[in-house]
Amino acid sequence: MNGYLGKILRVDLNQASLWDETLNENYARKFLGGSGLAARYLYDLLDASTDPLSPENPLFFLTGPLVGTSISSAGRYSVCARSPLTGIWGEANSGGFFGPELRYAGYDGVLVTGKAEKPIWLSIVNGQAALHPAGELWGSDIYTTQSRLRTVLRDQKVRVACIGLAGENLVKLAGIANDHGRFAARTGLGAVMGSKNLKAIAVRGSGEVPLYAPQEYKAVTKQILRLYKDDFLAQSLRQYGTAVGVNLSHMLGDLPIRYFQLGEYAPADDLSGVDLAEKYLTRNTACYKCVIACGRETHSAMYNDSKVDGPEYETLGSLGSLLMIFDLEAVIHAGHLCNYYGMDVISLGVTIGLACELFERGLLTSKDTGGLEIRYGDAEMVFRLIELTARQQGFGAVLAEGNAALADRVGVPELSATVNRLEVPMHEPRAYLGMAVTYALSPRGACHMEGDMYTLDLGQEGGEEIGLIPGDRHENTFEKGRSAARLQAWRNLYNSLILCQFENPGVHLLLEAVNAATGWDLDAEDLMTLGKQIVNVKRLVNFKLGLTKANDRLPGLFLKPHKEGGSAGFTPDMPTLLAGAYAEFGWDAQTGRPPEDFLL
Amino acid sequence: MSIKFHSDEWIKELCARLNANEAYAKAAANWEGDNIFIIQPDADYPDTTYFYINLQHGKAYDARLMNSLDEQKALFTTSAPFNTWRRVLEGKLDPLQALFSGKLKLVGSMAQIQRNPKAVYELVLVAAQIDTDFGS
Repeated sequence: MNGYLGKILRVDLNQASLWDETLNENYARKFLGGSGLAARYLYDLLDASTDPLSPENPLFFLTGPLVGTSISSAGRYSVCARSPLTGIWGEANSGGFFGPELRYAGYDGVLVTGKAEKPIWLSIVNGQAALHPAGELWGSDIYTTQSRLRTVLRDQKVRVACIGLAGENLVKLAGIANDHGRFAARTGLGAVMGSKNLKAIAVRGSGEVPLYAPQEYKAVTKQILRLYKDDFLAQSLRQYGTAVGVNLSHMLGDLPIRYFQLGEYAPADDLSGVDLAEKYLTRNTACYKCVIACGRETHSAMYNDSKVDGPEYETLGSLGSLLMIFDLEAVIHAGHLCNYYGMDVISLGVTIGLACELFERGLLTSKDTGGLEIRYGDAEMVFRLIELTARQQGFGAVLAEGNAALADRVGVPELSATVNRLEVPMHEPRAYLGMAVTYALSPRGACHMEGDMYTLDLGQEGGEEIGLIPGDRHENTFEKGRSAARLQAWRNLYNSLILCQFENPGVHLLLEAVNAATGWDLDAEDLMTLGKQIVNVKRLVNFKLGLTKANDRLPGLFLKPHKEGGSAGFTPDMPTLLAGAYAEFGWDAQTGRPPEDFLL
Repeated sequence: MSIKFHSDEWIKELCARLNANEAYAKAAANWEGDNIFIIQPDADYPDTTYFYINLQHGKAYDARLMNSLDEQKALFTTSAPFNTWRRVLEGKLDPLQALFSGKLKLVGSMAQIQRNPKAVYELVLVAAQIDTDFGS
């Protein structure tokens, strides 16, 4: 089976048993890998009665057919389960080296069920898997955990995916860290790992990924590499990281400010990726085989942080402009604290943002928060809230449930900035109206990785043959809905292969790579069909878990226009946009249900 | 009356309009750097044209048509084929889309460009207001 190792490691923590299972080739052919393949497996294993934090919730770590090969950008892995934060389909993916190393260790994925009696960690070294007591590792931060496991296995090249204190404490915003400070951050899957008493998975191997046509594959990956030399986006990311987007996003009204209520605010430009690079950057960091190296290692003298991962654009928004904090060092430190404890910066930032707004409106007072005054612009308070949340202490235990739970608790669900209980990321759907469709239809709730209209409508080319054409970002039409749906299918394909979305070689070259890796004879339209199948299987999982067409909506906060900035006056026309997307996906216009014939 | 695109008069008109434009002055307050615009030949335009303009803190100076790149060096160069310039200036191609798709190549200090995207954007908006004769 070219492009695959053909094996899944099954782990039943109830019985402390491990065994190999042959990868379902039919599923792999239809859903590729990553979150797509996981969705097909979990469709059979999940139902509405599965408690996300129970032993029965399966937790799937999966790679894709290109992961660990010579192509730039395929260093990722996905983690999938029913989300404890949202109650629906949960997925997150992360870069670094863990994904490739898992394949070199002999597996396409690891499927974990059950719950260990006591905290444990799992090692997978060259096809040999074993469970170990976590002992004093339980309670360690993510950096200490990774370092100790490399020491225990006496190999500095061991790659570790692990949880921090937040995951252990079942914080619903907890993520899974790997390769120092990279994160599969979203939908609370760190809490699922914690609920299983599974602290970490350490992998090491020397195997190879079998390819159908190695020479052709090598040639096409070389050709792809050459593309990035002069690419404007690649150059920008290399120099300034994802933070490069701050000033441009601010100009376009894309950067959320003051809990999504301001379209423009001059101090937001102080969060510039250029300033970050000039004042606080220690070095660039790169994922497996990546020539861009958008990763940042930064430092902050003010907070005594000597080695910080990030901050990313999303961190600068969610812990910066959203909370009216415009001091770069403060945001670096806040991001570092989230990393240290192992939490999703987006979800936590948006939840703290709601707390600020509730305070502002007098709907929350210090009587409700154990004496805390939670105000916009107060960085010290944010640091404190991050720690309280990770420890589930005081008002932190309220924040640990997420934004939607806080809005419900205070009785103002209309102020929640979530779609299906997942916090909205740092791209304004009023700046790119196609993002409204992406957020409303994303299977895991509001998610920018499900369709980056902010890249397509900014001029990203290379997808013309499958209808991915840059357009007017403020177009409010049926066709814009279709365009957003096509991009969602395309990015779901990416999230299944699994590729980084910053590297876009175009349909033709990607197709050549997939065919040379697997020996399949796909054409461009097949890629789009696969992408749609992947969207559809996730939607079917969600329908099984209780979602309906009524869940395809955007929060009311985003249906009021900004008065200022690059998105002033614009709001998405949801019925029109969604109708276009439904048509593109082939969903029933009345029920929103996708076809099911592709499942078998 | 329209002004011929590839002319000294056109770049001087741009210079005058920039200096009279408040939005540009504000957006480009931190911009420091002269620029050479290169209009490259394509099917509708057989020649190469070079414009020079010095842009400092929201004001424009010393705008002129150049005969060749040997005449003057600049911190930035912005180049594209004639029809790309035309589409941008006629409002048919968004300048940011042109830049990110590589149709319009801006070379120079990436820091200035990324820190001051509004300066670039406003400059194009001002240029687009000129009644330009593209020759066909």
